Amino acid sequence: MTDVHAPQSQPESVAAEGEATQQFGEGKTPQGTTANAGWLRWGWRQLTSMRTALVLLFLLALGSIPGSVLPQQGTDPAAVQQYYASHPGLAPWLNHLGLFNVFAAPWFAAIYLLLFASLVGCVVPRTFRLVGSARTPPPRAPRNLARLPQSSSYSSALSPAAAVDGAVAVLGGQRFRLRRSAADGADQWVSAEKGYLREVGNLLFHLSLLGVLLSIAAGGLFGYKADKLLVEGQTFADTNSALDEFHPGRLVSGSDLPPFTMTLNKFTASYIESGQSRGQPSNFDADVTYRSSPGANPGSYHIRINDPLSVDSLKVYLIGHGYAPEFKVTGADGKVAYQEATPFIPANTATFLSDGVVKAPDASLGFMGVFVPTAIPVNGTVESIFPAADAPAVSLIGYSGNLGLNSGVPQSVYQLDTTGMTKVSGSPHLLLPGQTWALPGGKGSITFVGVKQWASLAITYDPGQVPALVCGILALAGLLISFFVRRRRVFVRAVPAASGAGSVVTVGGLTRSDASGGFEEEFAELATEIAAAEPDHDQPDPGNNSEVPGA
Amino acid sequence: MFKAKRRTVVTVTAVVAVLLAAALAVTLLTSGKGNASDANGIVAYQAGQRPLAPNVTGTSLTGSAIKLSSYRGKTVVLNFWGSWCSPCRDEAPTLAGLDEQYGSKGVAFLGDDVGDTPANALAFTQRAGITYPSFSDNGYLVVADFSVAGVAVSDTPTTVVIDKTGHVAGMVIGAASYGQLTTLIKDAAVTKE
Repeated sequence: MTDVHAPQSQPESVAAEGEATQQFGEGKTPQGTTANAGWLRWGWRQLTSMRTALVLLFLLALGSIPGSVLPQQGTDPAAVQQYYASHPGLAPWLNHLGLFNVFAAPWFAAIYLLLFASLVGCVVPRTFRLVGSARTPPPRAPRNLARLPQSSSYSSALSPAAAVDGAVAVLGGQRFRLRRSAADGADQWVSAEKGYLREVGNLLFHLSLLGVLLSIAAGGLFGYKADKLLVEGQTFADTNSALDEFHPGRLVSGSDLPPFTMTLNKFTASYIESGQSRGQPSNFDADVTYRSSPGANPGSYHIRINDPLSVDSLKVYLIGHGYAPEFKVTGADGKVAYQEATPFIPANTATFLSDGVVKAPDASLGFMGVFVPTAIPVNGTVESIFPAADAPAVSLIGYSGNLGLNSGVPQSVYQLDTTGMTKVSGSPHLLLPGQTWALPGGKGSITFVGVKQWASLAITYDPGQVPALVCGILALAGLLISFFVRRRRVFVRAVPAASGAGSVVTVGGLTRSDASGGFEEEFAELATEIAAAEPDHDQPDPGNNSEVPGA
Repeated sequence: MFKAKRRTVVTVTAVVAVLLAAALAVTLLTSGKGNASDANGIVAYQAGQRPLAPNVTGTSLTGSAIKLSSYRGKTVVLNFWGSWCSPCRDEAPTLAGLDEQYGSKGVAFLGDDVGDTPANALAFTQRAGITYPSFSDNGYLVVADFSVAGVAVSDTPTTVVIDKTGHVAGMVIGAASYGQLTTLIKDAAVTKE
């Protein structure tokens, strides 16, 4: 919001300094016909006042702070659970206040909607006013121009009417909007006004601000965000049930998803091998093949950090990666019960020591595992010393019994419910690629077949992003225009000279909120030009030419 | 003064109208989206308004070819499942029982094994006594085909019942009960032709 208001359109009958200097003023005290109407009008005026809008804007900013400080349900539900675990007393209260889902909280929506109403209520009447003021001619010239903030006078050899005509030519040439007194009247003056662009800038700013809010709302209603973890060699189709996480906008359902398919051919992570930043990632690259719809021609792309794939008006970002050790589990009967590259979740992002579980319910076996990309033995256990899979190993703890997977209650694929199970051995068992652990008691076996990598992809659709950017740029442009363009009025009044021949011409000027300065200089130049614009054939006396600038 | 009043009225009306329209749109669209299921948890399509099932082709868990269109003339019960999915494993005995009951009565059972590997899936089907074939659909491609055809299989498990003419008669999203499935199978027998 800017601190500028349009000069209100003036009733033409009043002609006084008061009129020339009259500014737009907001509130007249409500004097409604009934008390209720008065209160309503007062409430409305409060809501649409700039102060309220500023307070709401400030509250919106303030309200966003918990959204970035506290973990949010939408983006990181696991972190919210973690917060609950570490702050059991505080977390429920924060939840009551909606602080774990700030941007969907009713109070946040209330601020948003009030701000929206305030802006609409401010901008719509302003549009009317701009149109009105664009149609209204400048006010009549005040009687005493010398009282205006800027003024100067000079003697002219011309008659008052001719002198004012000269001023009209100068001001008209500078694209001032003019209002001239009757050419044959005794009172000779011209009013000129310029700087309507300021209101246009002001309006552009307000409308763009509305546009930004609308764009963000459109993003929230029609956009969505989804996550998918994809192991090398795996394909997935963008459907609700295939996605690991799906956060649709209010007006999005699973059937609105564009049916693109994508295969992760290969994921490459490079790390700095030496020096102080050893182990720091230097490059990530997800080599994918995709189809925009089933049966469409395939395309290929390398998704990198900050280099998303654009497909079907969505963007696919690379947001994470990890290892998926491949296991083969056989049951007591010797039949293969499980064979899959199983995504493990990094527990340490520096060394990529990762945790995961293997569930083979049809062999009644489950394993909790730690994957070590570059393993070295340390005091009887293994540690990872480098994030790349240079010397991979897995350490497994085996369980046998009922995994609870037939209960009908959905389970996390990253957690093993060991309540109905017993450990098959006392200590963890270390496996290198290709090695098999034959479980004690003939319960079966597990083979560490090899290692694949997985990439975590964020699929986002935000229809409000581009409009919000455009509106943001327009808002800035409007703000600059309203800062740098001055609304200014110049008046010229000529009276017959006391000597009887020629006239005395007074030029007066005023501006409002001369934020960028410079009106004084502009006025001085104008006054000089007007004085110098005497027709050639009748040069004024140089001695009387000018007392410019005056103040 | 009168003009100013009229403008205020126009402005207030405009704001209120925009807010009401937005609220109405949100309410209507959020409640109307997706598959509306009835009180029994069944999404049923009336005969004549049934979407045509996509012509899905694929390979089974054992590597043989399956073509959905080759089941024309039979009612098809297509179950989207995965061996990793607890509700799927829970409902499997129901499906196996229905297969036995209706298999000889012109009803064919099929599975679509999503997000899974054939090894894991076969270990389960052998143990659960499921003898009907399943598409091996690790990447949810069959789900996408149905989505394109206007049938949103929005969760796993979902069971879709296709009538003899190849149109989707209805579905159950989530674990299906014996009652739900027999209702759907009977509904599917009522075709337009």
